[in-house]
Amino acid sequence: MTLADLKTGQSGKILKISVSGALKRRLMDMGVVPGTDVRVEKVAPLGDPIEVRIKSYALSLRRGEARHIEVEGTHSS
Amino acid sequence: MSALIASTVHRGKSGRRTHLTIAVAGNPNAGKSTLTNAIAGSRLSVGNWPGVTVEKKSATFDFQGRKITLVDLPGTYSLSPYTQEEVVARDYLVHEKPDVIINVVDATNLERNLYFTLQLLELNIPLVMALNMHDEAAQKGFRIDIDKMALMLGSAVIPTVATKGEGIGRLMETAVAFADASETQRPAVVSYGEDIEKAVAAVAEQLKDHADVVSGHLPLRWMALKMIEGDARAIEHYQTEAYAALTEKAAHHLRSAHGEDLEALLADVRYGLAAGLTRETLRKPEKRKRELTERIDAVVLNRYAGIPIFFVAMWLMFKLTFDIAGPFTDWLDGIVAGPLPRWAAVLLAAISAPDWIVSLVTEGIIAGVGSVLVFLPPIFAMMFFITLLEASGYLARAAFVMDRLMSAIGLHGKSFIPLLLGFGCNVPAIYATRTLENPRDKALTALLIPLMSCGARLPVYVVFTAAFFSAYAVTVLWSLYLLGIVLAVLVGFLFKKTLFRGEAPVFIMELPPYRIPTAKNLMIHTWEKGKHYLMKAGTWILAISVFVWFGLNLPWGVEAKKESYLGKTGQIIAPVFAPLGFGTWEAASSLLTGVVAKEIVVATMGEVYAPGAEEKEEEASSFSEDVREITVSFGGAFVDAAKNVFSTFGVATMSAQEDEETAGLKSVLAKTFTPLSAYAFMAFVLLYLPCFIVLVAMRHEFGSWKWAGVTIVYQTVLAWMVAFVIYQGGRLVGL
Repeated sequence: MTLADLKTGQSGKILKISVSGALKRRLMDMGVVPGTDVRVEKVAPLGDPIEVRIKSYALSLRRGEARHIEVEGTHSS
Repeated sequence: MSALIASTVHRGKSGRRTHLTIAVAGNPNAGKSTLTNAIAGSRLSVGNWPGVTVEKKSATFDFQGRKITLVDLPGTYSLSPYTQEEVVARDYLVHEKPDVIINVVDATNLERNLYFTLQLLELNIPLVMALNMHDEAAQKGFRIDIDKMALMLGSAVIPTVATKGEGIGRLMETAVAFADASETQRPAVVSYGEDIEKAVAAVAEQLKDHADVVSGHLPLRWMALKMIEGDARAIEHYQTEAYAALTEKAAHHLRSAHGEDLEALLADVRYGLAAGLTRETLRKPEKRKRELTERIDAVVLNRYAGIPIFFVAMWLMFKLTFDIAGPFTDWLDGIVAGPLPRWAAVLLAAISAPDWIVSLVTEGIIAGVGSVLVFLPPIFAMMFFITLLEASGYLARAAFVMDRLMSAIGLHGKSFIPLLLGFGCNVPAIYATRTLENPRDKALTALLIPLMSCGARLPVYVVFTAAFFSAYAVTVLWSLYLLGIVLAVLVGFLFKKTLFRGEAPVFIMELPPYRIPTAKNLMIHTWEKGKHYLMKAGTWILAISVFVWFGLNLPWGVEAKKESYLGKTGQIIAPVFAPLGFGTWEAASSLLTGVVAKEIVVATMGEVYAPGAEEKEEEASSFSEDVREITVSFGGAFVDAAKNVFSTFGVATMSAQEDEETAGLKSVLAKTFTPLSAYAFMAFVLLYLPCFIVLVAMRHEFGSWKWAGVTIVYQTVLAWMVAFVIYQGGRLVGL
């Protein structure tokens, strides 16, 4: 499962980033590192990008980018 | 070695250095620019870092009898080699070796900020942390153990509230004290774990004799870490390829234990340490309160309300920018058109200057100064509102809402605002692209801005629609605006596939908490941009204006416009326009002058089609009357601006009025244009190269003429093709 598959309000734990190079480094620099909890807060009115809460701040990213982040679902609300 | 360093620094009698350099570094949204403003205020000067479009702010001032140079580094989340901002920041830190780093940290977002702090520590430069927004953190119930943090980082930690100026004095004193003791006051070496430290030690051993390390120009630990990370930029720049093979052994061991991607391993380790530091020093309340930002976002980013709210916000910003600027532009325009050239003429007559000098001064130089000045009010207003949007946190939301739409043509969510401003005036719109971080997004947005039909093109449409399409004027007007938008989408697609081929930049963006911007910050940013424009773009604009004057008036003494250089050039290029339906020298000359400002097309047409008609003697007025008039009209501009603000909230009226002086032009136009060629002409005016002020703004914002050149070529070709299709297509269907 990837971060793009989580629905609004669902949480997960990051397993790995399945892309390399600049995009991976950028994601990691923003706190998207394995073992971190992440929760999908919102979806933009036009369906993309999404807003997630990670390391106690709000991060937005496109679904295309979220698809590179593998997660395991923890719980949904 | 210490003797070598000592010889290159300035020392006073007491042995203290008399000139210190302080670098300010930190994450975006941590309050870095507010803090810099609090320290240096209006002494900051703005420019660009060499070779890139990243803004550089610095200030030199006296502090406790010493000279301090403060350099504000671009806000970054990391010192990776992948973005311009990060490269600029790290190159500065490594090459210029500031005496001390002030690291601005958002106290409400410790972990991510500390991840950056750890990377700064690797550089072995004395570090003082400004634990900013300390009040906000306290309000949330955060308790931060400052002493423990300082101890763990081997640095000083000063709580600050930059918006209120709290802690700034202590911060500066501590920074200066740290700089003084820079040889002993080194930050802590944070251990990255046994495996990595072993590798670092092995690589450092190899690197020890590298010339830059020996001379103290390259921080050893930092370079060793970069080599382990496989940082291609650092390895190439410091010519350590030869050492790379030696690094391989150490790296190989790490890889077999921790996986292939060592860059990711280090990012992971740094985040692990940042999390550990946060756990050790921060106590949060058990239950997290639903914050104000989340409550606002529940409305502002709502699935249904989000877009309407966005459009209302954009409409307000657009109206306010141009409604407030408008009266002041008119006021400046009035002075430059009336009293100023009159006074100059009187003065020059008094020293019996020849006619051509009088004309050069009044029509060339003063008009040139005028064309510089009239753009100041919209640039000020634009910068004010952009800063307001950025500092309040809404700009990121606007990008979030619009990104889906804009990414379809290869743009970023933030591109929407500059494009929108383009409908008012392309010049401030070009400057508004500064909110886009990625150079590709920025360039593509700037290239599409001139397709947004600006206010200066409206007078041309008004004259032609009144002459040929009075029955359905509004439809024709709208069709032109729409034509520009549709072509922007098509051109955007085309550029995405050609000039900007390759992977689209990422959209990984923080949505910062909403914050109330301080008046001081708004003023400083607005003023900086205006000043920067005047000094950098102003000289170009003035020079080109004078050049154009020569084109219009030489050879000196020509009565008929047809015989001036402009008219002659018009005659030469007129055949190019024949297939478009307006191959006359009059039309060609008018289009040529439109490069100064598109509304001038109408004025030139008035002169070439109906010479002498608009030459009305103005009533002579005395100097004191002029001064009184200027003062009164300046007051009037304030009143008008205020009225406009109120009418913005009321009913908007589209003011497509007709000027008196253009009424005579209508009948002449009817003889040389058909409705079809008139429409082709309007489309051409919409699309051909923008006024040269836009081109100068592009040069200024991008640091080279490259994108201005691309604009000139593509727009001229596009304008010709579109006008051709309209005219020839129209004839085919029998219009």
